[in-house]
Amino acid sequence: MSLTQALNTALSGLNAAQTSVSIVAGNIANAQTPGYVRKVAVLTQNSVGTAGASVQVSAINRVLDQFVQTQLRTESAGAAYTDARAKLYDQLQDVYGTPNSTSTLESSFNTFTTALQGLSTSPDDATAQSAVLAAAQQFAQQLNTMSAGVQGLRQQAELAISDDVTQANNCLQQIAQLNQQLSAAGQDPSAAALSDQRDNYIDQLSKLMDIRVINSGNNQVTVLTTSGVELCGAKASTLSFDAQGVVTPQAQWNADPTKRTIGTVTLTSPNGTSTDLVANGALRSGEIAGFLDMRDNTLVQAQGQLDQLAAAMSSALSDTTTAGTAATSGAQSGFDVDVGGLQAGNTVSITYTDTATNTQKQITLMRVDDPSVLPLSNSATNNPNDTVVGIDFSGGMASVISQINTALGATGMTASNPSGTTLRILDDGAANTVDVNAVSTTTTATGLTGGVALPFFTDGSNPYTGAITATGAESVGLAGRIAVNQSLISDPSKLVAYTSGVAAGDSTRPDFLYNQMVNATLTYSPSAGIGTSGAPFSASAGTYLRQIISVQGANAANADSLKQGQDVVLSSLQSRFDAGSGVSIDQEMSDLLTLQNTYAANARVMSTIKDMLTSLMQLGL
Amino acid sequence: MSINSVSSTPNAMVQSLLDMRAQFDDLQRQLSTGQKSATYAGLGSSRGLSVSLNSQLSAIGGYDNSIDMINTRLQLAQTSLGGMSTIGNQMKALVVQGGSTGGNANSAQLTAQSSLQQLLGLLNTQAGGRYLFSGRATDQPSVETYDHIVNGDGARAGLTQLINERAQADLGASGLGRLTLSAPTSTSVSVAEDAVSPFGFKLGSVSSNLTNATVSGPTGSPASVSVDFTGGQPSAGDTLTLRLNLPDGTTTNLTLTATTQSPPGDNQFTIGATTAATAANFQSTLSTSLGALAGSTLKAASAMSASNDFFSADLNNPPQRVAGPPFDTATAMTAGTTANTVVWYTGEAGTDPARDTATTRIDPSLVVSYGARANETGLKTLVQNVATLAAVNISPSDPNLSNFTAALSQRIGTGLSGAPGQQSVTDIEAELAGTQTTMASVKDQHAQTSATLNDMLQQISGVSNEAVGAQILTLQTRMEASMQTTAMLYQLSLTKFL
Repeated sequence: MSLTQALNTALSGLNAAQTSVSIVAGNIANAQTPGYVRKVAVLTQNSVGTAGASVQVSAINRVLDQFVQTQLRTESAGAAYTDARAKLYDQLQDVYGTPNSTSTLESSFNTFTTALQGLSTSPDDATAQSAVLAAAQQFAQQLNTMSAGVQGLRQQAELAISDDVTQANNCLQQIAQLNQQLSAAGQDPSAAALSDQRDNYIDQLSKLMDIRVINSGNNQVTVLTTSGVELCGAKASTLSFDAQGVVTPQAQWNADPTKRTIGTVTLTSPNGTSTDLVANGALRSGEIAGFLDMRDNTLVQAQGQLDQLAAAMSSALSDTTTAGTAATSGAQSGFDVDVGGLQAGNTVSITYTDTATNTQKQITLMRVDDPSVLPLSNSATNNPNDTVVGIDFSGGMASVISQINTALGATGMTASNPSGTTLRILDDGAANTVDVNAVSTTTTATGLTGGVALPFFTDGSNPYTGAITATGAESVGLAGRIAVNQSLISDPSKLVAYTSGVAAGDSTRPDFLYNQMVNATLTYSPSAGIGTSGAPFSASAGTYLRQIISVQGANAANADSLKQGQDVVLSSLQSRFDAGSGVSIDQEMSDLLTLQNTYAANARVMSTIKDMLTSLMQLGL
Repeated sequence: MSINSVSSTPNAMVQSLLDMRAQFDDLQRQLSTGQKSATYAGLGSSRGLSVSLNSQLSAIGGYDNSIDMINTRLQLAQTSLGGMSTIGNQMKALVVQGGSTGGNANSAQLTAQSSLQQLLGLLNTQAGGRYLFSGRATDQPSVETYDHIVNGDGARAGLTQLINERAQADLGASGLGRLTLSAPTSTSVSVAEDAVSPFGFKLGSVSSNLTNATVSGPTGSPASVSVDFTGGQPSAGDTLTLRLNLPDGTTTNLTLTATTQSPPGDNQFTIGATTAATAANFQSTLSTSLGALAGSTLKAASAMSASNDFFSADLNNPPQRVAGPPFDTATAMTAGTTANTVVWYTGEAGTDPARDTATTRIDPSLVVSYGARANETGLKTLVQNVATLAAVNISPSDPNLSNFTAALSQRIGTGLSGAPGQQSVTDIEAELAGTQTTMASVKDQHAQTSATLNDMLQQISGVSNEAVGAQILTLQTRMEASMQTTAMLYQLSLTKFL
């Protein structure tokens, strides 16, 4: 009977409208819920009998633009990366202080050089002497503080990575769990809510690391890093991070686990195999990658720059280069130098001409007390044009000469030890395939008297010599340890009295100190990111200082503008995503009006049918 | 900014409101601190330049401090030098105008003594605990005290003793200036130096127009001159001139004239009845004349020489002294020691120029030298000459007093005037004044450079209050508009109209 059919159809209309209203209600209620995607009811018609069709809610769809969603995840990884960097860069800028204030490194450096200038004017003035020491101590202190600040930031990055890894693990587990629930849910309406939840966790994860999401059908997703390492499928892999409690300048990441002294991110798959994600370069974007980059590159460089400044200034005041004296033996000629005063890290520099090609070359012999670091790389000195050979001095002169002869082997030059600690380098005489042009030694002064140079700054309590040991170059972390020589503090008159019998008004040593600090050209290792290995940066200490501030300031400004750029991209994508998938109250309200009308109309149909049925009943009477 | 749909979650709008708020806070900070940014990152691409500018400004500040300090020192030094110059001129006037000869000698000596005390006081001038005339030894007084210099200090001999010893050595026991007279034959006279020594008269040359007499020499070592009258008598008015070299490098002539008068006048000898008598008269006159010359000119030259030795000394080279006692037969000088002789100059004694003992950089490209030593030629000459007059023994009973003081005054007058081309106190004053002028112009230059640098720094790191004020106003308008619009957008919801 078609009236009953019509009644059923109207009823299905009422049901559909009710369901739709409840979806609208859900949309409105969740308008501010993060990760909530607008839901719509999918209405389908059911043919009933010969005429007409009833309606039913066949599914609840999520209004989701997957293309925008994928883009949004990529960009939010990028945004989190730039954000992490910008945040740390911003804090790093605080380490360098406020421009034009007295709390900056440049200000303490200027105070120090001005004090030296004052001492050079009044060498006999005890006030001028103590002013130099006070300014130097303040400068050293400033370097110490800045070094501690940089390491504090590295530690902060280390702990942030640790937190992020914990959070990432939580996301991975939730995703895996939701995957399992969704596989059981099938077409159940609850699937939409579960998918929302899963998307929310994937979104969170995408902020932490750069991921790729593959829909593997049947409501399942597989999460991989962009480099293709699987993070989560039906089961989740586990990330782990061995955070170090104390981060020192020496603590650096290394692909070799035995040399690594700082945390790394390891992924353990459900079947137990583990991968070092940092070593694989699997982390390219996201907050974790941002913090890793700061911890292992930017902040290491910032420390390196301070260290190079400290090392160059220490050496400038303490090192003396002594030219060799000419020596001959038969037809051979060359030079004698005394290697007795050489300390670990001090060098003998040999300049010679290869007459076959008529090219001038340099060999640098560096004293090494820790044989485990041999052989040295050519980058052990800042000179780009020399061949560096480490010489172990522990075996006495005979062993030293034999090591040097091995090193000189192919050049045609020979080393010998005519007496005491004298090293003699000779050419090959009549054969004339090589000419020795110059031999000189560079030694670090250890006492306050004996020469104009003095160990003004010390590494802890020892003179800084630039020694290379198993723990690395002495310069690493020097900025954190540099101090003014304690014996100089207890006897400031040594700022003037460079040897016995020096007149009180003799400005030789103050002039030397001032000149070395202000005018002398010093060379800085390119490892700190300023200069290149082919053309290392060489300039006065003040210029290097300027360079540090300049480079760091520019980097921080760049990091900030990158972040702002990324934020704009992210926020416009977010707007697009929201426009497509978010809840618009107006939309919902107008839907509600329509639904209200639909409901009323269906009810009206029912009431009409009822009237019709009543009429029919009365007819039958 | 894209226009977001009214009803979508207005995240971006809220974010931009927050951004404006942060911008507002930053502008407020700029206004209160006058600094464009609290970090180097915020300074823009000129941040490196700002570091350089600060360093240049600080260096200029340091240089200006040095200039001020040196200026104080130089002004004090100039005052001292001016004082010394005045004393030098007064002494020169006194000596040249004959104020120190004969009966005036004693009062002149008193003047010299007080002048010397003043000179030594001026040489020990300090600027902030720094002795200005001690070379590099700025913590050491430049010169000894007056008493030590003149009278000695216990076992250490002073100038008076050195002059005295030298006088003994130069005059000899006989008082003839270490010359001996003899008669090889009855008709000849020989005058000879008593030994090869730096002391006494040195026979330079002899010229004679004595008729019939044979004059030979100076020959031999020690040198001798002989006058032989064997050939016959000289004529009246004939002369013989002996040229004598003196210890201070000057020379004097002794001319003896033959006369028929008896007794003869000064420096005359009587032609006797026989050549033997003439020879005897000649020897007698020579002896008397040499004695008088030794007691006056030689004694003055001897004092000058002793004084020169005393004042040419420094701590590394103590004074040369007569080897003795006995002094009257001494034949050599010997180096004194700091234990037996006072060294007048107690500052640093180097061989490099005195100005270089204090050098300071007052500009990246300019180093000024302004040191001074009390034993620089100009200062030493002044002190030496005044001290000689102050320390010589002037005895009113000395028969040669008048000639001695005249010879001494003449030498001191010459000494105070200085040889041409020799450094004088005025030269030192001029050199230091040159340095002062240089410093004044460098300081002016620094003031200009500072102003320029500050201006540049202000452009990089500073803010203009007007600009910030305008920005704040603009921002305020924008924020108000934004907030109002946001409020309106929130009002515009369909919910309200249902």
